[in-house]
Amino acid sequence: MSIVVTTKPDADPDFDPSTPKRKRKKARSPKLPYWLTLPAVAALVVGLAYPLGWQVLNSMREYGLRQQFGEDATWLWFANYTDLLTDGFFWTVVIRSLVFMAATALATMGLGILLALLMKATPTWARVMLQSALLLAWAMPIVAQMTVWNWLIDSRNGVLNYLLSKLPGVDMIGHNWLEEPLSFFFVASLIITWASVPFVAISVYAALTQVSEEVLEAAQLDGANARQKLVHIIMPIIRPVLVILLLLQFIWDLRVYAQIQLLQDLGPKGDDYDLLGTYIFGLGIGQGRFGLAAAAAMIVLLITLCVSGFYVRELLREDAR
Amino acid sequence: MRKITPIAVTMATVALVACGSDDGDSATEATDAPAETTADEGTDAPAGTTSAEESDANASDGEDITLWLAGTDTPDAALTYLTETYASTTGGDLSIEQIGWGDLIPSLTAALPDSSSTPDVFETGNTQTATFSAVGAYSDLTPYYDELGGDELLQGFVEAGSVGDAVYSVPYYFGSRFPWYRKDLYEAAGVEVPGTLQEFTEVNATLKAAGSGAYVPGQDWRNGIAWIFANGGDLATYDGGEWTAALSSDESIAGMEMWQELFATASVAGATDTDETAYQAINDEYLPDTAVGTTLAPNWAYWSLGDISEDEDGEAVATWDPETFGAYALPGVDGGLAPVFAGGSNIGISAASENQDAALELMGIIFSDEYQTLLAENGLGPANTEFGSVYVDSAADPEIAQISLDTAAGAKLTPAAPGWTSVEEQQLLEQFFQAVAEGGDVASLAAEYDDKINAVING
Amino acid sequence: MRSKFKRYLAAAVAVLVAIVWAFPVYWMINSSFLTPLTISGLDPTFLPFGGTLQNYRDVTTETPFFEALQMSVIVVAVALIVCIAFATLAALAISRFRFRGRKSFVLVIILVQMLPAEAMFIAQYQMISGLGLLNSIAGVSIIYVAMVVPFTIWMLRGFVAGVPIELEEAAMVDGCTRFGAFRRITFPLIAPGLVASGVFAFIQVWNEFALASVLLTDDEAQTLPLWLRDIAQQSNLGAPEWGQIMAGSVLVAVPVIIFFVIVQGRMAQGLVGGAVKG
Repeated sequence: MSIVVTTKPDADPDFDPSTPKRKRKKARSPKLPYWLTLPAVAALVVGLAYPLGWQVLNSMREYGLRQQFGEDATWLWFANYTDLLTDGFFWTVVIRSLVFMAATALATMGLGILLALLMKATPTWARVMLQSALLLAWAMPIVAQMTVWNWLIDSRNGVLNYLLSKLPGVDMIGHNWLEEPLSFFFVASLIITWASVPFVAISVYAALTQVSEEVLEAAQLDGANARQKLVHIIMPIIRPVLVILLLLQFIWDLRVYAQIQLLQDLGPKGDDYDLLGTYIFGLGIGQGRFGLAAAAAMIVLLITLCVSGFYVRELLREDAR
Repeated sequence: MRKITPIAVTMATVALVACGSDDGDSATEATDAPAETTADEGTDAPAGTTSAEESDANASDGEDITLWLAGTDTPDAALTYLTETYASTTGGDLSIEQIGWGDLIPSLTAALPDSSSTPDVFETGNTQTATFSAVGAYSDLTPYYDELGGDELLQGFVEAGSVGDAVYSVPYYFGSRFPWYRKDLYEAAGVEVPGTLQEFTEVNATLKAAGSGAYVPGQDWRNGIAWIFANGGDLATYDGGEWTAALSSDESIAGMEMWQELFATASVAGATDTDETAYQAINDEYLPDTAVGTTLAPNWAYWSLGDISEDEDGEAVATWDPETFGAYALPGVDGGLAPVFAGGSNIGISAASENQDAALELMGIIFSDEYQTLLAENGLGPANTEFGSVYVDSAADPEIAQISLDTAAGAKLTPAAPGWTSVEEQQLLEQFFQAVAEGGDVASLAAEYDDKINAVING
Repeated sequence: MRSKFKRYLAAAVAVLVAIVWAFPVYWMINSSFLTPLTISGLDPTFLPFGGTLQNYRDVTTETPFFEALQMSVIVVAVALIVCIAFATLAALAISRFRFRGRKSFVLVIILVQMLPAEAMFIAQYQMISGLGLLNSIAGVSIIYVAMVVPFTIWMLRGFVAGVPIELEEAAMVDGCTRFGAFRRITFPLIAPGLVASGVFAFIQVWNEFALASVLLTDDEAQTLPLWLRDIAQQSNLGAPEWGQIMAGSVLVAVPVIIFFVIVQGRMAQGLVGGAVKG
């Protein structure tokens, strides 16, 4: 097991006590871990190897509808990539998606943390009520979410316009919330936030329950104020949860596809309403420019890596122990 | 009888094994005829056998094939007719799958190239067919063109399905577009049915001043391009083997400026509204304040317009009321009829199908007198113009059917360019019309969208 | 005194937030009981009194709801069982053993989750078609398992690492086999993690429609999201039939809600466990 020797022995001191035992075990059954990962690897290979290979290959070829119907595909090396990277519109979509991702993920995290703190501060009956409401929203399937929200914001007789118009001096009847791109993305972000906050709130609340009351009380006696307790006691404990949650929100909100697609089906059309997911779909399936779409997907993968790089590094370092 | 006799069989017919996915597929859920029943009626299939055994036993004359239809436009009676007739003439099973319009292009793009997944016969929108002709997805129908109806077929559609002299897909059914109006509101505002395109704007501006107006959705290019056509413009022109967008020709710009004026002075719809919501605007109680006086809609809007009431299931139903509702053909710039954009679809045989002759047999059934009559009776404009009179006579309202037939005769289609599907998928025309509706400068917008269309139109 | 007031205030805010959050769900249920004519009116109806079950009757009898339900349940069950089984084994491997290629495996697991799926539909279709598995449960399940396995492994590895290896070893000293030790000691301890990651896999598979719409063209092989999307696109007289659409949405949401209620307690426990110990 040379790999054990090459890994940094000091990477994780916590694990030192068990290391001798581990070595013994590994010596006994060195093949076991491979057998254990085999089914998962097989599932990935069966489900992904061909599509992924196809994608990498075609991102470097001229591959369109004609090629799909049998014409030879010309090898282009990186022409698809340079086409995209020099296309101003591609960058517009990239930046739009990044802004959308940041706004939605931060709103989700902020609201989720606030609601978790609220659950901590409130009597049990109110907490259970809030948790149930959050679970209901979380359990809504995406297609159902989108149809309900579409009905809520319907310009003709949606309840949102109706309620807003009850405010003095406001007449929103007939207002189309999906008309302007900015308003469209606001609505999309709102729906996604509504649907993602429950997961964040419930996870953060679960993490908060791990903070021991005794320690907090002790801190109180020592004269720590609320902010100091938050910074010095609560944060260190819930930080790992927050980091993972934030990363997941980033990944999910950057590659959001279904919600935008379904919202586009309901009215506003065109690439002013695209984020990366729908843009790639439109490029490939829509226009039949599969090579270009594949290249765009690879670039998005790189962007996602950059955005989440800090965490991936941390994870791998921690894993090297 | 215009039935296709299988001419020399060019394709091997032993390919049933490769068509594994078709085996055991009975007709779709929409089709009421179960496979067993049709087998019983079949002339040469032994009664009581399962379809799989049957296809093995009659490999040469009873192939199981698949037909993909777009959406649910084809009435159930027609679906039943197809499966039953196919079973009784060939002894094979016809499986019909109705692919939603939204999934049609992805599904066709994925399925057509591969003989193991391709439908044998498939329908596409008439604006999408050129793309598939260009890449070789269709078998050549030129030798059978006359048997399928020849020059009686709607020529605009045939053109859309042809590359040069070769015919790859033929029209399945047509629709056409024209204004529908409220007689009572026209009378109240003291206006008459317009005689020219400019009068159309004026009439509707008067209506709008009187509190109703026309429902002209900003993104509704399918109706709006009639203004380009009527002014002698075109969406794109074909020259020297290349398609070039023509939105910025003087004629097209003149048309769009007329349409912009119509939108600004006479429309009560928003700039981002689509044609999907247009039908019911002239019904009472759709819009908050008043019904709309005029709307542009396809001929099948007939079933959605009229007095609203509740049927026994609590469903809202529209009953056409010729006292209050009417329709007229969109007038041209100098009177007469404006060329409008025809709706409808084309149908053809997949080049990758391994059941070419059986597929041809099905095409024969589709273009038989009986089936064309059936379509016409069910309100779908028959592709074969010989059946226009059936269509008019059997229509619930012959007057409207006649308008529909007249406008279809002069109707135009979108360019038969290989990249036209991209233009539609990118929704470039929706964007162009919306931008014009929002009051943008027509000439510069036309130049901008010409560039965008040119980037993809040649595939 | 002051802290009591604070608690009341917090309770009031919590109730308010709960109402706001649950409102869309309430609205869906409410609208599903209203007649088309009531719904098409310009003023919303806030209570379903005198409501009707007609919408439910319509969507279940006029459309292949039960076929779609059956298809969805089977696909989810197959994908979930396979995914959890495979992921548990892999999670054991990467958190219990050092082995050559382990780091690459972890990296692949992370990378795969960042892959945009929208460009691969054609290739996935070609593959499933080549295997002769179009319109089949096996076909979509293959893709779905590959789609959810990485995240499940990632979540589970934290749980497995959280179970001290000494416990297993103690059991083995007491005469358990390695498998027995796993079954009696580790498995119960990672159960909340299995539930939590199962919920995620469940939601992802239950929701998926883009791929399904390409792989499942046969009307008889539709999953519930496809079924619901079809209903949402149908209209009567050009206006969406909100009553039926909402009834359909309720029907798609109910199985998920039931599932959530069942696993609720363990889920919250599971969510934090993996992350904190990861």
